[in-house]
Amino acid sequence: MLERVSPLHHATVYNSEGLSLSFDRDITLTQVAGAAKALKTSFPKLPDAVGLSVDYAGKILMRIGPSQIWVIGTPPDPQDGLFLTPLSSSRTRIVLDGARARDVLAACAAVDFHRQVFKPGQFVMTGIHHMPVLVHCVDTSIFHLYVMRTFALSLWEVLADATHS
Amino acid sequence: MTAFKRHSSGGLIDRTQAVPFTFDGKSMRGFAGDTLASALLANNVTLVGRSFKYHRPRGIMTAGIEEPNALVTARKTPNLSATTLELVAGLAAQSQNAWPSPAFDLMAVNALLSPILGAGFYYKTFMGPLKKSWMWYEPFIRRAAGLGKGSYERDTARYDTRHHFADVLVVGSGPAGLAAALTAAKAGLRVVLAEQDFEFGGTLLSQGDDVTRHWRDAVLKDLQEHAEARVLPQATVQAIYDHNHVAIAVKTPSGMVLELLRAKTIIHATGATERPLVFANNDRPGVMLASALRTYINRFAVSPADSVVIAANNDSAYLAAFDLATAGVAVTVADARKTLSAEVLARAAQNGVAIFPNSGIADVTGGKQVKQVRLSGPRNATIDCDAVGMSGGWSPNVHLTSHGGVKPVYRESISAFVPGELPRGHYAAGSCIGTFGTLGAVADGEKAARQAIALLGAQPPARELERPGVPPDRAYAIMPVWSAVAKGHEKSAFVDFQNDVIAKDVKAAHQEGFFSVEHMKRYTTLGMGTDQGKTSNINALAMMADLRGVTITDAGTTTFRPPFSPLTIGAIAGRSVGKHFRPIRRSPLHQWHEQNDAVFIEAGLWQRAWYYTWAGDTPETAYIKEMELVRSGVGISDVSTLGKIDVQGPDAAEFLNRVYVNGFAKLPVGKARYGVMLNDDGVVLDDGTTSRIGQDQYYMTTTTAQAGEVMSWLEYLLQCHWTDLHVHVASLTDEWGGMAVSGPKSREALQLAFPDVDLSNEALPYMGVKDIHFEGVTVRLMRLSFSGELAYEVHVSADYTQSLWEHIVRTAGPLGIKPYGLEALASLRIEKGHVAGLELDHRNTLDDLGLGKMASKDKPYIGKDLRFRENLQVPERWSLVGLELMEPEKKLRGGSILFAATDEIKGHGRGYITSVTWSTELQKFIALGLYQGGLKHEGEDIIAAFPLKNEQARLKIVSPHFIDKQGTRLHA
Repeated sequence: MLERVSPLHHATVYNSEGLSLSFDRDITLTQVAGAAKALKTSFPKLPDAVGLSVDYAGKILMRIGPSQIWVIGTPPDPQDGLFLTPLSSSRTRIVLDGARARDVLAACAAVDFHRQVFKPGQFVMTGIHHMPVLVHCVDTSIFHLYVMRTFALSLWEVLADATHS
Repeated sequence: MTAFKRHSSGGLIDRTQAVPFTFDGKSMRGFAGDTLASALLANNVTLVGRSFKYHRPRGIMTAGIEEPNALVTARKTPNLSATTLELVAGLAAQSQNAWPSPAFDLMAVNALLSPILGAGFYYKTFMGPLKKSWMWYEPFIRRAAGLGKGSYERDTARYDTRHHFADVLVVGSGPAGLAAALTAAKAGLRVVLAEQDFEFGGTLLSQGDDVTRHWRDAVLKDLQEHAEARVLPQATVQAIYDHNHVAIAVKTPSGMVLELLRAKTIIHATGATERPLVFANNDRPGVMLASALRTYINRFAVSPADSVVIAANNDSAYLAAFDLATAGVAVTVADARKTLSAEVLARAAQNGVAIFPNSGIADVTGGKQVKQVRLSGPRNATIDCDAVGMSGGWSPNVHLTSHGGVKPVYRESISAFVPGELPRGHYAAGSCIGTFGTLGAVADGEKAARQAIALLGAQPPARELERPGVPPDRAYAIMPVWSAVAKGHEKSAFVDFQNDVIAKDVKAAHQEGFFSVEHMKRYTTLGMGTDQGKTSNINALAMMADLRGVTITDAGTTTFRPPFSPLTIGAIAGRSVGKHFRPIRRSPLHQWHEQNDAVFIEAGLWQRAWYYTWAGDTPETAYIKEMELVRSGVGISDVSTLGKIDVQGPDAAEFLNRVYVNGFAKLPVGKARYGVMLNDDGVVLDDGTTSRIGQDQYYMTTTTAQAGEVMSWLEYLLQCHWTDLHVHVASLTDEWGGMAVSGPKSREALQLAFPDVDLSNEALPYMGVKDIHFEGVTVRLMRLSFSGELAYEVHVSADYTQSLWEHIVRTAGPLGIKPYGLEALASLRIEKGHVAGLELDHRNTLDDLGLGKMASKDKPYIGKDLRFRENLQVPERWSLVGLELMEPEKKLRGGSILFAATDEIKGHGRGYITSVTWSTELQKFIALGLYQGGLKHEGEDIIAAFPLKNEQARLKIVSPHFIDKQGTRLHA
């Protein structure tokens, strides 16, 4: 079998009190686009607005546009009116976990990461050091950062550096 | 004679913590809580440097951020203000602008030349005799003047950036700021309190009484107990931009953090700055602001040894006078006002302060320190003293309110500018709006906070904030005195201490016609430098108003611009240094390249394998070997950086048909086609191949450089122009990796890699596309050739690209497969005559590039009409040609300018070389270029000139297809 190689497979996981920086090796991500009706048919439980996510049938659905969602988990079956684009290789998921995670994010992106503002289930599509990044709050102190694979190591280095800020 | 002493008690210093430091190499000792300035004064160091232009001896004039004189170099950083530099153990500070020492400075000779070195001297004197004379003089002048020297050594400090958001930003932690911050915090708002000092309290720190200190401590304690309140010491608000985007420089033990704060509301509690008075020799070491004398004694327990003379025009000077007198210093006040309040007179008598009404200081005697002053006025007395105080009134700090474009307005009652009408969400409180008393400031601060709370819709605190138990504020009585210079003394009466601007210079500016305060600033340099004229501006503009015979309002102020105080460039750069200077984009094969001795080259943000050391140690030798490998055997190259776009939907064929100049509607499934797309102005946007991988699905590739632009263009067309088309596009550039397997043995190589797949010419012909499943992974084989050889592109999910590459390299090893890099890739295509990014530069048309014939005549496509614009059709347009070097001993360079053989080698020529390479097949330098008239001149000899190296070479214009014109190899 061909080996699946993460762009971060040599990166050193960072662990300190109040913060860990790690990455998920294998994620399954499918971009699904289609008219609202078609989306609703396939996904009865859809996030209400762009920037919100829901857990549905063991998958995470993230509404990245009015008529586009990301499905993290088992890819949906093809269906008329829906355009499926596999993006599992295209994005690398970096995980920031810990009480200091919001501070690290504040050092990186011009987004209000205050716990009363950026809550679990919300995500933002923003830029960190000129790289497009989607930051998903999965729990109060756990964040998933989806970054284009070709920028993954650069973002990792920026985040690792920011842990010292 | 100037002398200072440390008192054995009092102040906010911690006498249990001695802090050793050095100044100009001399070991000294201060205490925790000291600034460098207070510690120097406590060590009786009053001469700390020399002035900018005249090299006059200078001491410490202020106790704050407005300091013009006491600039030092420490931690390799010049121009640090000793008055704000917190004393830390081991601090090694150096004086500036003096050699060999401030006490004996050779450049002090400048002072002798001061009569001719006035404002405008440089502009007038060093412009001739030749046109570029200034360039010759400048280094000498800059060496003679200056504000310290920067270091070329690496800055070891760490500079971070952070982004924060707040409901209320309070700038300044004096009584107004503290009251505002606590009131807002009690409403549950997210509050940031930014204080530039390392201690909170602002003017409260200088008051010397326990009541206000206790109030400060209680407010701070209460504030810090609110989870949503952040109190930031050593945090200078440097700039306020549109939409309340605020830059705050926060000092940290290891360097600095530049906090970029978005605040919903801002409360300006920035305080006020005391003004000096302009009299002869007012710059002598030992001449200080009266408020500074008060701060040094009350906060730092340092005072002049025995006696002080204070020149004043307002009541605030007596706060310093009485505190100094209480500490045992003999105080004389020369007050410009004829009549003083009974209360002042009574308290002066009570404290033993001598007052000379209707008086001022005519002159200060002493060179490197104050010895005595001569008073002006009815008594004309001469008084020996250790120090001189100046109190010319207070200027509210309107800098930050002005950053947003709010013009300050002049208020006669306090003889000062205050902020103009503030925009919604901005409030001001305390002395920055002319409320100079403590209780008034607290009331102002609370009121401003309650206004902010109301605006934000929060619940205000039910109870009024507790007031400090101090006596009621006294009225601020002032009689403006902008200049008290006796005739003949203008040459030593300083208006701007940092830039050595004297009263005479202001007059000179007026005489020369520089009436506007902005012109005066540029002519005299007044208000420039690290202090940005915080102590000098209003005196100068008032003097100019007087000379012009206009009001101060009419004279106006100069423009206040960020930063508020000196800000190191490192803070602005933040972490964008070294390897973090900009992000790097790495292909899925990057690590393999690193492990296999690739040499990388930047291509935009990408790091691409330029060449491999198996082929040579220099690019010049390596790429030729790599080319030879591809021409004779098989090579493998990383093409993952190509743009890749998923185009799907029932209207995908129609969509592509409109986007490309050539037809795509009838492209069969399993085939690829080369396509060119135009901008809507008819100029070539990009090219690439697009494969039909299903009835309604295409796999588009673009050039590396235009990947993002093409993707945006397609989305724009679908979202704005062709909303009726049922098509979806998605970028796959990061999803798929790609490799080109090229050379006469490429089929053989892939056959070894995929033994179960039929790769025959019949099964996978030229421009054929086939998805195969290999070890559970979809692999896309496309028979495409950039090199002109039999070749394939192998694309696969990026996560598997390295494994697949390694598999091909391993299995095809017996054929001698090796990697080739970008240089060879780009050179092979030149031999073949393929255009690429260097030719597709958004200026050329299809016809310019020899691609006109591939455009459809039958169908519409973007740019079709405008490509036939008259100017784009003229026969003399620069068009693509092939070029061969006719002089074997010479070398061709990209960018060379092309001339006809009979032309004079001058100007822009008739074209230029876009791409150049050594041809391994032709054994000569060949090139692609754009030449006026293009291939109409085929066969002609022309000249390539490279003026930067003074080189010229003879070339022949040939077809751009140097090899295999029939395409035999491609179809093999």
